[in-house]
Amino acid sequence: MHLPALKYMRVRDYLRSLVTHELEVGDVIPSERLLCERFGVSRMTVRQAVDALVVEGLLEREQGRGTFVAPSKVDLEVRLVSYGEEMRRRGMEPSSLILSAEEVAATPDVADALELLPGEQVFYLHRVRLADGEPMAIEQSWVPCRLVPGLFDDEVPDSIYGELRRRGLDPEWGEDTVAASEVDARDAALLGIRVGRAVLRTTRRTFSGQTACVYSRSSYRADRYVLWVPVRAPKPALTPRTTTDARPAADEADATSAPSPHRSHEMIEEPT
Amino acid sequence: MTKERSTVTDQAARVLAAFGGVGNIVDIEPCTTRLRSEVRDPALVDVGALRAAGAHGVMIAGRVVQVVIGPSVDTLATDLEDLM
Repeated sequence: MHLPALKYMRVRDYLRSLVTHELEVGDVIPSERLLCERFGVSRMTVRQAVDALVVEGLLEREQGRGTFVAPSKVDLEVRLVSYGEEMRRRGMEPSSLILSAEEVAATPDVADALELLPGEQVFYLHRVRLADGEPMAIEQSWVPCRLVPGLFDDEVPDSIYGELRRRGLDPEWGEDTVAASEVDARDAALLGIRVGRAVLRTTRRTFSGQTACVYSRSSYRADRYVLWVPVRAPKPALTPRTTTDARPAADEADATSAPSPHRSHEMIEEPT
Repeated sequence: MTKERSTVTDQAARVLAAFGGVGNIVDIEPCTTRLRSEVRDPALVDVGALRAAGAHGVMIAGRVVQVVIGPSVDTLATDLEDLM
């Protein structure tokens, strides 16, 4: 039972390498007949391999024309920059279609993310984000009204981060969550993709110092985005020393000669 | 010792108490914006006290407790180390 699966994977991985290293966007891939001969497999096996890469978004099929290398996906970087800044950096022209820009009462989940009380006023912005005119993502953002009074007074700003910086609330850190999901009918229409296609659903809390400034939820087209995450080995975990009573004298000496200055409990109780 | 310095040290003492004290801690790892800790008894963790000590979120799953602190988490971890 293992052999057919292996055969299809060999063809798939060969095509993947071809697409990423030899072919250009829009190039046609080798014919089914050629692939059958090269790997000594059936047409069905070749189709299975091609289908897998179409689903992944590496290839696209055009009715009656053939199968081509799809445009490469955009790295969705977990960096604290706005959509517009990120797209310009990649040489794409960002634009937005504003679906809604209004002042609303924070729902409990939004209030929680922004460290407000439910019902406090927030600016709500709902946008389709485009790159070179093509819909890429849908974004909902909430900003506490008291942080940015009059945010929508003149016209809706292009960049919320830009507005925050202008008011001395530079976005400094935040946290994202990313989940895979199927797109619903309304978002599918806005993104120009079929209902049920995959999207990357992200949430972000943006902070300036200790102040929660923006909460946002976005849906990125999974056929146009790939999540890029830098990883490194964890820092050593801190573990409690043995209890004070049992701590040997040598351990005490170690603590005082540690690189960080040793602070006693007395100093903690010092009035600030 | 600057005022800021002692504020952080005070935060470390409050966080440690909210974790249920040194005796309840298996280990603590600073992780970019969070403290990720394994505790002996999650029932001893005081979420309200962690929030009051400046946490922007607390997630508990089994014996793993994650506390959202922000970029100051490395400084906080250094202070926690001194108290452990």
